[in-house]
Amino acid sequence: MKEINIDVLKDAASRLMFDMTEDQYHTLLNEFDVLTKQMATISKIEGLEKYEPMTFPFDCTVTFLREDVPVTPLSVEEALSNAGSVLNNEIKLPKVVG
Amino acid sequence: MSYLDLSIREIHAAYVEKKVKPLELTKEALLRAKANQDNCFEYICEKEALEFAEKLTEVEEDNLLWGIPYVAKDNLSTKGIPTCASSNILKGYVPIYDARVIEILKEKKAVLIGKTTLDELAMGGSGMTGHLGYTYNPYDPDHKRMIGGSSCGSASATAASIVPFALGSDTGDSVRKPASYGGLVGLKPTWGRISRYGLFPFAPSMDHVGFFTRHVEDAAIVLNALSGRDDRDSTSSFKPVEDYLEATKAKKQYKVAVIPEIVDSISDKELLAEFNKTLDKLKENGACIDYVHMDPASLSSIYATYFVISCAEATSNNANLDGIKFGPYYEGNSYQEVMRKARTNGFSELIKRRFVIGSFALMSENQEELFLRAQRNRAKIVSEVNAVLKDHDFIFVPAAPSVAPLFNASGDKLSSEYLIADNHMAIGNFGGLPSITVPFALENGLPLGANITGRAFEDGEVLNFAKQVEDVTGLGGLSAKKEDR
Amino acid sequence: MNFEAIIGLEIHVEMRTKSKMFSPSPNAFSKEPNTHVTPLDMAFPGTMPVVNKQAVINAIRVANALHMEIDHTLYFDRKNYFYADLPKGFQITQQFRPIGKNGYLTILDKEGNPKKIHIERIHMEEDTCKQLHMASYSLLDYNRAGVPLVEIVSCPEMRNGLEAMRYVEAIRNIVVYTLTSDGKMEEGSLRCDVNVSLRPYGSDKFGTKVELKNLNSLKNIEVALDYEIARQSACLLAGTPVQQETRRFDEASGKTVLMRVKTDAVDYKYFCEPNIAPIHLSDEFVDEAIKTCPELYEDKKARYEGFGLSSTDAAIILSDIEMSRYFEKAIVNAKNIKTVANFLIVEVNGYLNKNGMAITEFPLSGDNLAKIAAYQDDGYSHKQCVDIFNYCLKEGVEPEEAKTTLKIEKQISDDGLVLSFVTEVLDANPQSIADFKAGKDRAVGFLIGQVMKAAKGKVNPGAVAKIMNEELAKR
Repeated sequence: MKEINIDVLKDAASRLMFDMTEDQYHTLLNEFDVLTKQMATISKIEGLEKYEPMTFPFDCTVTFLREDVPVTPLSVEEALSNAGSVLNNEIKLPKVVG
Repeated sequence: MSYLDLSIREIHAAYVEKKVKPLELTKEALLRAKANQDNCFEYICEKEALEFAEKLTEVEEDNLLWGIPYVAKDNLSTKGIPTCASSNILKGYVPIYDARVIEILKEKKAVLIGKTTLDELAMGGSGMTGHLGYTYNPYDPDHKRMIGGSSCGSASATAASIVPFALGSDTGDSVRKPASYGGLVGLKPTWGRISRYGLFPFAPSMDHVGFFTRHVEDAAIVLNALSGRDDRDSTSSFKPVEDYLEATKAKKQYKVAVIPEIVDSISDKELLAEFNKTLDKLKENGACIDYVHMDPASLSSIYATYFVISCAEATSNNANLDGIKFGPYYEGNSYQEVMRKARTNGFSELIKRRFVIGSFALMSENQEELFLRAQRNRAKIVSEVNAVLKDHDFIFVPAAPSVAPLFNASGDKLSSEYLIADNHMAIGNFGGLPSITVPFALENGLPLGANITGRAFEDGEVLNFAKQVEDVTGLGGLSAKKEDR
Repeated sequence: MNFEAIIGLEIHVEMRTKSKMFSPSPNAFSKEPNTHVTPLDMAFPGTMPVVNKQAVINAIRVANALHMEIDHTLYFDRKNYFYADLPKGFQITQQFRPIGKNGYLTILDKEGNPKKIHIERIHMEEDTCKQLHMASYSLLDYNRAGVPLVEIVSCPEMRNGLEAMRYVEAIRNIVVYTLTSDGKMEEGSLRCDVNVSLRPYGSDKFGTKVELKNLNSLKNIEVALDYEIARQSACLLAGTPVQQETRRFDEASGKTVLMRVKTDAVDYKYFCEPNIAPIHLSDEFVDEAIKTCPELYEDKKARYEGFGLSSTDAAIILSDIEMSRYFEKAIVNAKNIKTVANFLIVEVNGYLNKNGMAITEFPLSGDNLAKIAAYQDDGYSHKQCVDIFNYCLKEGVEPEEAKTTLKIEKQISDDGLVLSFVTEVLDANPQSIADFKAGKDRAVGFLIGQVMKAAKGKVNPGAVAKIMNEELAKR
C-alpha cells in the first residue's frame, strides 16, 4: 500500500480536480490515522481470499438487453438548459489542449 | 386533529367520503412546511403542488395514494423542480427528467409538497452536513438533537407530521437510522425492488430508495406503489411484486434472531430494558425469539467495510459534477481550471476528504488491500448474515444504541458501541436485504427504534412482523406533534 | 545490427446501431450539435446505463469472425479519469471480462504467405463527446457521447507496416460486412492506435514502446510504420535510446511527429460497474447472433471467385459494401456473372469516377446492367454494349429501347458466313496478300476493314480477324 503523507493526499485531490487548504490536508491526514485503525478491523480477518469481491448484494443476473430502438431525444434547449457556458448550441470551454 | 395527521388509509377514507379535498390538505401541508423551523426543506414547491392538487377532484377509490401529500429527499430527480442534493455543486440545477419513483407518485396523483434536506450528496449520517446547515429533530424544540441522516429532512418532516410519508434513500442506514431517532417507520426494501432511476448515486451497489411513514400499513401502501421492474434501471428486479398491504394483514408466527453481540455493545440500560420488554411482548404474541451469535470480528468490521466501499464508489459517481453540463460554472483558462474551481467551491471539506479516501482505496497499488479486501469482507459478512437468516426469518435488534444524539456529543469512533451498535444496519445494504425500523419505546419522550432485517425479496414478511411490533408497542402513528400535546 | 519491429494494434470501431451503447438516444450522424442527446449522455445525476442488445449482437458476430472465445456473462467496469470530453468522469468499458478473448486473424505477409495474428480481446465500451477546437476555445457536442464502440486488441505480432495495414484491412472488412460499422477510417468510425517497438533480432525482450496516432487511412498505417521503424532503428544505431512517447502521423510529410512524452501512466482506478447487473447470454442467443450474421467478407470473396472472378476483381467489388450489394442484385438473373462483373468494374466504376458519384446514386438498375451484359454474351460486340450502356444512362431508358433506337444489330460470328466474306475479299486483293507475305502487317488491317465494309459492319471483328489470319496463312 502507498505510504500516506500530505503529498500523496495533495496529489490525490489534484487528480480528483479539487483543491483543499493546508489545514484541511492535515485534518485528512489525521482522519487517515483513525481510518487505518478502523481498517485494521478488516485486515485482521482471516481467510478473506476465499471470497470473491462482492459488487452485487446477491445473484441478480438477468438476460434483459435493451432493444435497439431510439427514443425522441431532448431538445437542444433542454439538454443545455443547465449548462453555464454555451455558444451556438454547444457547450463552450477554454481551448482544450493535449 | 387534522386529517393530515392520520394514516394514508384514513385520509383516503376521508377523501372518499368527501369530508376533505386534496387541495385543502395540500394547503395545510404547505402551511406546516413553511412554518417548519427544523430546516427540513431545500425547496417547497407551493405553486406546483397547488396546481396539481387543484385538478384532483374525482377521487380514485382504488388508489390509496390519490391526493396524499408527500415530500422527497433532494437527491431524487424532479423535472422542473430544483434538486441539489444539499450541495453547492448542484446549486441552481433544475433536472430535466423525473426519477422513476417521482413519476410513479405523479401517476398515482400523490402531491409533492417539497424537496427535503440531506447530508451533502447523501454522504453522512448526522443531518449536519448539508449546505443549509443542521436539520433538527422535531422531538427537541431546543434544536440540540439531530434527526440523523442522510435523509434528515424527510425524516424530520414526517416526524413533524407535515406529510404522511416521505421518500428517502438508504446506502448504509440513511432511512432506518433517522427513522429510529424520529420515531418513524423507515423501510429500505430489497435491493432492486424499487427502481433507482433518478436517484443521485452515492454508492450504487448499496443504494436504495426507501421511505418514512408513521404507520407500518402506510409503508406497505407506499411499497405497493413503488415496487416493480423498470427497464431504465438495469438492476431493478423482474421478480413479481406481491401485495404488501395484504401481506401485513394475517398475523404470522416467526422465528426471530436477536444478535447478542449487537445488543450487548449498547450501554444505554434503559434502552436495553425497553428492548427486552418488547421481546417479551413479542414472545407473548407468538414469536419465537432466539439469541443467535455472530462473529464479533465480522460485526466490528462492518463500518470500515462500508466506509471504504461507499467512499470508493462515491468518488466515481460524483465525477460527473464538474460545472460543465450543470451546476455553477466558473470561468478559467483551461478546462481543468473550470472543473477545479467548480469542484473546489462546490464540495464541502468533508466530501472532499471522503473522495480522497475513496480514491486512495481504488488506486492500483492499494486496491487489493483496501477496496477489494473490503468487497471480499462484504461477501463474508453477507454469507454470515444469510446463514443466520437460513434458520430464522429475521434479525431483530435495536436500530441505534441510543435516542437521537446531541449535536455536540462526541463518541469514540473505535468503540464497539460505535463500530457495531451504531453501524450494524449496513448489513442490509451489503446483502440488499429488506430492512425496516419501527419505534418500540420512548425514553424521556424521545423515540427508540428497532430494526428488522429479513431475507431478500421477503419484504412482505418483514412488513408483517413490523406490524406485529407496532401492535405490541402501540406506537403506530407516533409523531412529534402528538408528543407536544 | 538489425532490428525486428514489434507492432501491436488497438482498434476502436464505432458501431452503426440505431441507438447508443447505454442510452436510447438515436445513434446517427447529425450536423446539428446536441440533437441526439438523452439525459444519460450528458451524465445528468441519477441516470443509469442499460445495455443495447444490437451492440452485443454485433460484438458477438465480430468476436466469432475473429475465432474468439465468447463470454456468456457480460460484466462492465468503470475507467475513471477526468477529461473535457468525458461527461460522467468515467467511461463504461469491459476491463476485467471482455466479451471475447483469444482469437486470431489470418493475413498475408510480405512474401504472400498466410500469417496468423492472435487477438487478445474484444470488448464493448462507449465513445466520448466530440470536441470542436477553435482558435481560443473548444465546443462540446454530445451527439457522439455514448455511441457504442468495440475495441479490438491484437497481440504484438506484426513485424512491418504492410502486415499492420493488412491486419487493419481485414478487421475493417469484418466490421463492415458484419454490418457492425461503416468502417470509415477517414471519418473516424474506425480508429487505430499502433504501438511499435524495436529489438535486435534474436532478443526476447521488448524495446521501448512508441504509440502512433492519427492514422486515418490504410496507406498511412503502412507509411507511418515504415517511417517510424526506420526512425527508431536510426536512433538505436546512433546509440540514442527510444523515448516512451506518443507520436502523430503527419500526412503531408509522411513522417511521425512527437505529440507528448509519456510520463507516469494514468491510474484509471478500474472497478466493476455496479449499475449494470450481470447479463447472461444464453447459448441460443449467441448461436442466433452468429447464425444470422450477414455473410462475411472472406466468404463473399470465395463465392465471387467461384463465379470465375479473379481475386483482384472480387476484391475491387468488395472494397465497397454498396458495390457488392449492387453486384449481388445484378447477378440474381444473370447468365454470365463474369461479364456483369467486368461491366461493373470497368464501365460502372468509370462512370462513377467521372461523375463523382457513389454506387448508391448510380441510376441504372442492377437488372438492366445484367441485361446489357447479357447482350454481349449473346454476340453483340463489347463496343455495341457500351453504346447501349451510355445511351441508357444519358436518356434514362431501358436497354431494349436503347438498342432499338441506336439500331444496333447483332454481328455475325458464324464461321461459314465470315469465311465467305473473307474469301471474297482475299480473292479481290492479291496485292495485299503479297504485301502481307512481304512482312507488311498493316495489310491485315486493310483486309479486315474491307470485310467489315462488305458485310456492312454486321460481322464480329474478332471472328473476322481470327479467320483472316487462318486464311492468309493458307495462301
